[in-house]
Amino acid sequence: MLTIALPKGRLADQTLDIMERAGYDVSAARDKSRKLILEDKEAGLRFILSKPSDVPTYVEYGAADIGVVGKDTLLEEGRQLYEVLDLGLGKCRMCVAGPAELKDKLDEIPNKRVGTKYPNITRNYFEGVRGESVEIIKLNGSVELAPLTGLAEVIVDIVESGRTLYENGLDVLETVAHISARLVVNRVSMKMKEDEIKPMIAKLRQALQQGEENEV
Amino acid sequence: MANKYYTPDGFTDQFPGICGFKRELESKLRNLFLLNGYEEIETPGVEYFDVYKEFVKEEELYKFTDSTGRLLCNRYDGTIPAVRFCAGRNESYPVRYSYIENMYRSGKSGGGKLSGFTQGGIELLGAKGARSDAEVLAIAIKSALEMGITDLQVSVGQVEFYKGLMKQLGIDEEIQGKIKNAIANRDSVTIEKLEISSEDKETLLMLTESGGTYEIIDQIRPRVTDKGAIEALDNLKEILDIMARYDFLKYVSIDLSLVESVEYYTGMVFKGYTYEVGFPIISGGRYDDVAKVFGKEIQAVGFSISLTLAITALMRQDKYAPAKGASVIVGGDFEAATAAAEALRAEGTPAILDTTGMTEDELNSYAEDKGIETVMFMNGGNE
Repeated sequence: MLTIALPKGRLADQTLDIMERAGYDVSAARDKSRKLILEDKEAGLRFILSKPSDVPTYVEYGAADIGVVGKDTLLEEGRQLYEVLDLGLGKCRMCVAGPAELKDKLDEIPNKRVGTKYPNITRNYFEGVRGESVEIIKLNGSVELAPLTGLAEVIVDIVESGRTLYENGLDVLETVAHISARLVVNRVSMKMKEDEIKPMIAKLRQALQQGEENEV
Repeated sequence: MANKYYTPDGFTDQFPGICGFKRELESKLRNLFLLNGYEEIETPGVEYFDVYKEFVKEEELYKFTDSTGRLLCNRYDGTIPAVRFCAGRNESYPVRYSYIENMYRSGKSGGGKLSGFTQGGIELLGAKGARSDAEVLAIAIKSALEMGITDLQVSVGQVEFYKGLMKQLGIDEEIQGKIKNAIANRDSVTIEKLEISSEDKETLLMLTESGGTYEIIDQIRPRVTDKGAIEALDNLKEILDIMARYDFLKYVSIDLSLVESVEYYTGMVFKGYTYEVGFPIISGGRYDDVAKVFGKEIQAVGFSISLTLAITALMRQDKYAPAKGASVIVGGDFEAATAAAEALRAEGTPAILDTTGMTEDELNSYAEDKGIETVMFMNGGNE
């Protein structure tokens, strides 16, 4: 029996589509009830639906063998996991953003205040890549408000289309990382349930490649 | 005092039945270590911060000061204090030490990952080569089996192989850091995006997918030209040969992606896994450079097994039985009861003597409540 942790929402459905293309019967997981654990004994699969940012925790501690999680959460949480496949879902960018007039002028502001939901990613980027200390202001949502209200000079956040930014007079200043959903595996499960997990990874990889070919 | 009844986050009490079970495991482990000639040492549990600062992140140590303001920390592992102890003495090598102690690690806890936990382990100091590596690996496997963990998988790697391979591929240090993380996380996505030749990429991907025993070594060997890397593969082969003699090959597989601690280890590394716990229960390897920090050259290899995780695994695998308390309680006439209890203890039966003067009914209901099998109520000297 393999336990798979899926992030509630669109990403869960898209992951199930890929699993279906890979030949897995995932009808149990399509159940639209409010159940949090969905089990298919015959297929040997159990799905748990959790908040996206909790998926790496379930997998790291071995409560789930496998999980699907955005690269942003992985970078932020820094968990000890095997990161085996890029599912190519939920593609976006982690960016430094701010007022459009700051473009190419980021170096000119000393002692920046940075608003973000991702304090670790922000610290690693500013200290590790840009080599500067910044004041990080942890926010929980609508991060774009921070530069608009003067709470922070810039923000670090996920940018998909960039529309929210543009409509508020903000722009992408620098790209921190490219983000997409990854398949992660618990380190012990990879060993102890190798016979189930390795074929699954291979089948999913094949389904992804076929998907790409069809698109072309 | 608001926290009167609680233990600090990351620390737990051991309840009587579990504590007894744990002591049973400890004595099995202690016997195994002694049987193999590993003498037990006890370090104080408090070390100078300087002892650990080269090896452990500052924020993962519990720190405090002594009466003169010198910085101290709690014992973080068994190895560093053992090496410190060994380096401070003039001994003829090799020496074999063992320990069973509590370890204290600050930082992330929760979900079964504790800040205070018990480890047992051995250190073989002043001995090099695959035979010494294999001795430690074999005792690691025996220690899990001895405790009843039979669903065991041990991954064996070689950090010198990785270091040699990086030299051979001529990869600069910045990208090496990336590659190391990618290999340790089995992150094929990052490796495939690297700007290196497709042949080198294939070699790196073999590391992330390694498994099995001799096959992977034979498969990767033709791609290797670096002398250190070749020696590392030969070392693994010799270790496998010795494991075969113990009939332990069924527990062992080669995993060349074990590269997380390449700065600490200098040869064979291994991790042991079982069902129902998400973390390795065994961790070990060769660490020839550690003693250098203490000004000595001591080649060394060791391992530790987490009793705390082992108990979790055994409980979830239905292999746990709480240790039993006393099986008899003796009450009634105090003088007669004392004599009866002493007689039972003399033959090795754990017996409780009632010191509170319970009536026969009280004694019976107390025994039932505590799960004591036999009640003896003494009527005084005129029977």
